[in-house]
Amino acid sequence: MMSGLLPRRAWLAGGAAMAALPAVARAQAAWPAQPIRLVVPFAPGGTTDLVARLLTQGLTARLGQPVIIENRPGAGATVGSAQVAAAAPDGLTLLMSNVASQGVAPSLYRNLRYDAVRDFTHIALVVENPVVFVANPRFVPRSLTEVVRFAQEAPRGLDIASSGSGSTNHLLIVQFGQATGARVNHVPYRGAGPAMTDVIAEVVPMMSDSLPSAAGHLRSGSVRGVAMASAARHPAFPEIATFREQGIDAVSNSWFGISAPAGLPAPIVERLSREIGLVLADPAVRARFAEIGATVGALSPAGYADFVAAEVEKWRPVVLASGAQVD
Amino acid sequence: MDIIGNLAHGFAVALSFQNLLFALIGALIGTAIGVLPGIGPVATISLLLPITFGQPATTAIIMLAGIYYGAQYGGSTTAILLNLPGEISSVVTTLEGYKMARNGRAGAALATSALASFFAGTVATIVVAGSGPLLTSVALSFGPADYFSLMLLGLIISAVLAQGSVIKSIGMVVLGVALGLVGTDVQTGQQRFTFGVPELSDGISFVALAMGMFGIAEIILNLERPEARSVLKTKVGSLWLTKEEWKRATPSVLRGTLVGTVLGILPGGGAALSSFGSYMMERKVSKNRHLFGTGAIEGVAGPEAANNAAAQTSFIPLLTLGIPANAVMALMVGALIIQGIQPGPRMVEAQPDLFWGLIASMWIGNVMLLVINLPMIGMWVKLLQVPYKFLYPAILVFCSIGAYSVNNNVFDVYSTVLFAVFGYMCNKLKLEPAPLLIGFVLGPMMEEHLRRAMLLSRGDVMVFLERPISASMLAIGALAMAAMLLPNLRKGKEAALTG
Repeated sequence: MMSGLLPRRAWLAGGAAMAALPAVARAQAAWPAQPIRLVVPFAPGGTTDLVARLLTQGLTARLGQPVIIENRPGAGATVGSAQVAAAAPDGLTLLMSNVASQGVAPSLYRNLRYDAVRDFTHIALVVENPVVFVANPRFVPRSLTEVVRFAQEAPRGLDIASSGSGSTNHLLIVQFGQATGARVNHVPYRGAGPAMTDVIAEVVPMMSDSLPSAAGHLRSGSVRGVAMASAARHPAFPEIATFREQGIDAVSNSWFGISAPAGLPAPIVERLSREIGLVLADPAVRARFAEIGATVGALSPAGYADFVAAEVEKWRPVVLASGAQVD
Repeated sequence: MDIIGNLAHGFAVALSFQNLLFALIGALIGTAIGVLPGIGPVATISLLLPITFGQPATTAIIMLAGIYYGAQYGGSTTAILLNLPGEISSVVTTLEGYKMARNGRAGAALATSALASFFAGTVATIVVAGSGPLLTSVALSFGPADYFSLMLLGLIISAVLAQGSVIKSIGMVVLGVALGLVGTDVQTGQQRFTFGVPELSDGISFVALAMGMFGIAEIILNLERPEARSVLKTKVGSLWLTKEEWKRATPSVLRGTLVGTVLGILPGGGAALSSFGSYMMERKVSKNRHLFGTGAIEGVAGPEAANNAAAQTSFIPLLTLGIPANAVMALMVGALIIQGIQPGPRMVEAQPDLFWGLIASMWIGNVMLLVINLPMIGMWVKLLQVPYKFLYPAILVFCSIGAYSVNNNVFDVYSTVLFAVFGYMCNKLKLEPAPLLIGFVLGPMMEEHLRRAMLLSRGDVMVFLERPISASMLAIGALAMAAMLLPNLRKGKEAALTG
């Protein structure tokens, strides 16, 4: 129960700082004077949570103040993001920004309570990882060309599972269908785990999954890689050909970064950007990320802000084509 | 790996200091709530759910499981000594057990109950270990249509077996399903039944619903009644059984173990049903059936073995299919999902520590319970003297903290209060909350599988009848419904459930 109480205390501290403006000035003078709260807009145990935990270990040591993870899952990660967008820009509230809440949500949600670009100070891209098409080993078509032919010839088309509606995994299926004209039937699940179970049990022959979540099953051979949605072959899985190599121009990455409420003072932005860069330069941290199939990103605060803005534009037509829309 | 190797691994996990400690804590809490009339395992587990979030999943489940089977042991103590069933499953134990105590054989009745539970627990553990992985491979051949039909069957049976009016329990199941569907639709991402309340976008909090309807509602109910607990006047007497008693109890224990093991696996089954079932059976087949009603040891041995065996085998559908067989298992599903573990056929492979550790801890827990219950019986009797005016306020405070800490959200505390009031009203209207909880947990899963089956069959409803597993589940469900409509069968059920 203590672990449940700790973030609350940090939250109270944040609230107190918000109430008294001079406290913001003081926090600026000797930042960070108090523990920092990192809001992770997903449940514990997922890829985002894992990335955040790997990062905060190093960050706590470098900043001299504990960086406490607060999981605020809900509504496609938009609940936690909205909360940070509304927080005080004192450097004590940070967000694990990501492709779902900052890239896809602006096009997916009709009444989003924040602007993914303007309501945040984007600080650093942490990691990126590609989306990958996997299949049951007994599924006959091997290459994407064969998969497309199968989808055209099978009387009912081809079923492809994903971790849920509106996820990047789902959107890659849409992109694939658009690019090839293949008759693809999207089968959404509640998370990647149950979807993978059904692919292994041959209920659905194929699945679109993020690499960290599929990596273990690819290594154990319970599923086979069909195509990787990265620009070049992935160093951890060089045997899986990319979509581009197989004639389909689709690159789809999940990404995670650190952002703060808009108007974060420049000295804090610089300090955070520098320290995050140093944590990510640590070979041990890089090795842990590489293990799960994620690549460390290197972008300046301005670079990351541009990156987020570009992502919002990139996903808009794809979301539109998918027909997914949430109030 | 073979079963022996897996079990050895399980024991290594279960014998770690932390897991051992929490198995003991679970067994102690379980015994305590079993002894105290009024608070059952469902209420306790729902109240303790938030404590488990900070622990590793294996430790959390080991503790919660300890509470469940601990309550089966503890419940019989009060039943035998005070004629008060601490648990629904020990209602039948009062029938013969209290008579035995009146005859000066209280010690023998307690020993019979503990030894029968231990024996049945050991057998059931072996059954779970042996059949679990086997059933898991069967489970992998289940498609969405089969899951849907199995869950529908589970809902029908939970309604049919609930106490009281079938119509009312069907109503509760349907209401549970409806409450479960609040939130974001999995297929389209649209929000349903949220009435614009953002806190509802991820559904009604499971912890708030369970804690409110079971834990707090039960406390309100208990407050209504004056504290009526007469301290034991009967002497416990010798714990040793006579040779004659051994001879009479043994076949009943064997039969009870069998009945409990089988009924525990069935959806909607569990400890309570098994002890009633075993008592009915003993009254029919026992050689000393003429002694029933005067303190027959068979009437203690059989049901006590049955309820403990069932408490353990009811984990099988949870661990292999991810489907809860009763309200306690529905709480376990909630606990696992909060931990980020999806119960289902892949748990054996993906979470071997949890699966085998839990099985090993079941047996270790049974050993602990034997030790806790027999020599320490005097202490548990003393527990009956703690005044409720200290017990209940403490529980309420911890509940509020618990509901808040799940999502750091005050909304969940208000929901808990609302569900507490609702649970209290349900009780007054003789509406069973257990079918509602099962509906709440199974409903969203069922919808998901229904829609997935339809998506994969491109809208062809026949898929539910074409697949043999699905078709047989639906047939059994239809039979169960039909059986309940026949008046004489219904009378039989009422007789069994009211003893």
